[in-house]
Amino acid sequence: MTKNVIEAEALTKVYGDLTAVNHVSLSVEKGALYGLLGPNGSGKSTMIKMLTGQIRPTAGSATVLGIDTQSDPVGVRERVGIIPEQETPPSFLTATEYLQFVGAIRKVPDIDEKAVWWFDFLDFSDKKDVLCKDLSRGTRQKLMFVQAFIHKPGLALIDEPLINFDPIMQHVVKDYLRDYVKAGNTIFISTHILEIAEEICSGFAILHKGNLLHTGTVADLTADHRHLDEFFLSLVQRVPHA
Amino acid sequence: MPELFVAMVKEEWRVHSTMFGSLSFALFPILIFWIAFMGSFLLPLMRQALPAGELSLILHANYLMLGFMVGAFGLLGSEVMNRRFGQASLLSYSARSLPLSERFIFANFVVKDTLYYFVLWVLPLALGFLLASPFIGVPVTLPLLLALTLTLSFMSGLCAVFFLSSVYSRSKPALAAILAILAVAAGALYLVTGQNPAVYYPPLNLFLAFSWTGLLISLAAIVCLFVVSIWLFSPETVGVAKHHKSMLVPLTGKLSVFPYPPLAAKDLIDMYRSGGMVGQTLFSFLIPLVVIWFFLSLLSGYLPAYGVLIEFALVTGVIASTMYTWITMFDTFGAYACLPVSVRTLIKSKITTFSVLQIIPALFIAAVSILSGQALYLVPAVVLCLSLSFYSLGITVWLTGLSPSVLVYDVKVMVTYLALTGAALLVLSAVAFAVPFAALGAVLLLIPAVFFARLGFAKWEAREQPGF
Repeated sequence: MTKNVIEAEALTKVYGDLTAVNHVSLSVEKGALYGLLGPNGSGKSTMIKMLTGQIRPTAGSATVLGIDTQSDPVGVRERVGIIPEQETPPSFLTATEYLQFVGAIRKVPDIDEKAVWWFDFLDFSDKKDVLCKDLSRGTRQKLMFVQAFIHKPGLALIDEPLINFDPIMQHVVKDYLRDYVKAGNTIFISTHILEIAEEICSGFAILHKGNLLHTGTVADLTADHRHLDEFFLSLVQRVPHA
Repeated sequence: MPELFVAMVKEEWRVHSTMFGSLSFALFPILIFWIAFMGSFLLPLMRQALPAGELSLILHANYLMLGFMVGAFGLLGSEVMNRRFGQASLLSYSARSLPLSERFIFANFVVKDTLYYFVLWVLPLALGFLLASPFIGVPVTLPLLLALTLTLSFMSGLCAVFFLSSVYSRSKPALAAILAILAVAAGALYLVTGQNPAVYYPPLNLFLAFSWTGLLISLAAIVCLFVVSIWLFSPETVGVAKHHKSMLVPLTGKLSVFPYPPLAAKDLIDMYRSGGMVGQTLFSFLIPLVVIWFFLSLLSGYLPAYGVLIEFALVTGVIASTMYTWITMFDTFGAYACLPVSVRTLIKSKITTFSVLQIIPALFIAAVSILSGQALYLVPAVVLCLSLSFYSLGITVWLTGLSPSVLVYDVKVMVTYLALTGAALLVLSAVAFAVPFAALGAVLLLIPAVFFARLGFAKWEAREQPGF
């Protein structure tokens, strides 16, 4: 039997009058590259925040790698890699220092060697000694990508990881994600770029206005001769505007 | 272009109400009004201990300080706002996207700050005093004059910090030279006249004896500082990104005796590279304290010989506790949300950084003790200062967690803070005035400091932290 690395049960998050996520239940198997899809404001980032213990659900529960996200949020964040919604490397640290900082907190051995590998791999060695505040948006995104994977987590929850990358870098990163999953790890990726999801994801869930509209696999869609974007639009457009 | 001015006022309100809550922030001027109104009835009593001139002196010094602090915050740049509100941009930084010059925006910024803080701080105080004046036998013209001179005092602080920071951005040696000249001039004035230079402070003189000439002198000083600031103002230019040597690993090693060395090292690097280590120490600590020293010195006739030092150590302790704001302003918890760091850990690491920074007030009080000829009381003064600083920090952590700026404008939080800190201040003042060496007992404040900090850890760990 395949073990689920993420189990969410009726997760709900309410902000005042707004229900950002409404009773969402889903599970993700170990070894999946699972896409959480939805338009802007659909609740994808809120889901990732709840699953990584950054915010507490209003109702419902979740376990990640078998750890309860509410009772041990730090334990969850110790075991997973996270790319948050907005890139947030500290302004006054250099790229190298930020990775050293992450390495010190996560207790990653040989952090300097690992950092050098990543700078070469994502092609920003020339920026390694530049303050994060002076980096371009794309380079900051590279840095956030590195901090999520530098400790080789068994599960990474990544929010729109490709959005600021040029096509060449998108290609490099997509290949990396595929290989990472092949090595037995799991990736939970939130995105609204459906082409990317269709290209790399095995399973997916569609979220709209906080509600879970569908869960399935890309293979099933392909068997039905359907494309993800057409399927997504048919589902989302059925939901009346608020 | 009134649109920019109006938008800036709205923006200032929204920044404050987002940080402190609309209701809490809206209640703030009412609190000031109430304190002024009720406090006015205590004036006849207070006059028995202190002449009216000394009371007005303390009030004007406070508003001068307020101007300094508001100006210093305005100059911290977009980084603080970005860390607090995500990739936000204030109108002050809109010259990049709008056809407006940096200088024009800066001028609007100063006028906006003056009007905004007049309504927030000066007007409620003057109204409270005005309403109470018929009951305490004070002519109604006095509160109106006070509103004018406190505004001038606030503007003096604001423009002085703009001027000094404009000079600082152009040339650090020039700033050092100006500060040295000011110090020498103050010393010379004291030697020649035998009077504390603070008595020549124009807004204070104007309040004590109104004259149109005095008003013109006050306004001219402010306008001069403002015009020179605009003239010297050099907008940040985007150039080639500089490369920096790694400081994190060596600094983490040096801090290894403290808890959470990488987090504390990051905070110190933030402060150092943002210019905060020098800028904040200078503009939010040393300059205000030097000003306060001048004003407190005027009280020497009413206090025992060591009294001014004791009072100064207490004031320095309270101001030193605001260093917690320096180290929490560069990030929110959101910046750590992708790492295995709890709120409790983060607050503890900030306390570590705070403890390292306490070397500044300790050295400062030691220097003041020696320079004022009160070296005998150096140890009690330093103990008094640091104990009060850590006690106030404990309260701040309990009340505000990682957002100590809430302290300023959240009425409930501020009243609690004032009551707890005020009680300690009163007791310590009384004890230390009676027996200066009894001030060593102030270390006992560390017990409630730890108690409040622990309450804070539990309180803020249980609460959801704002990210972006």
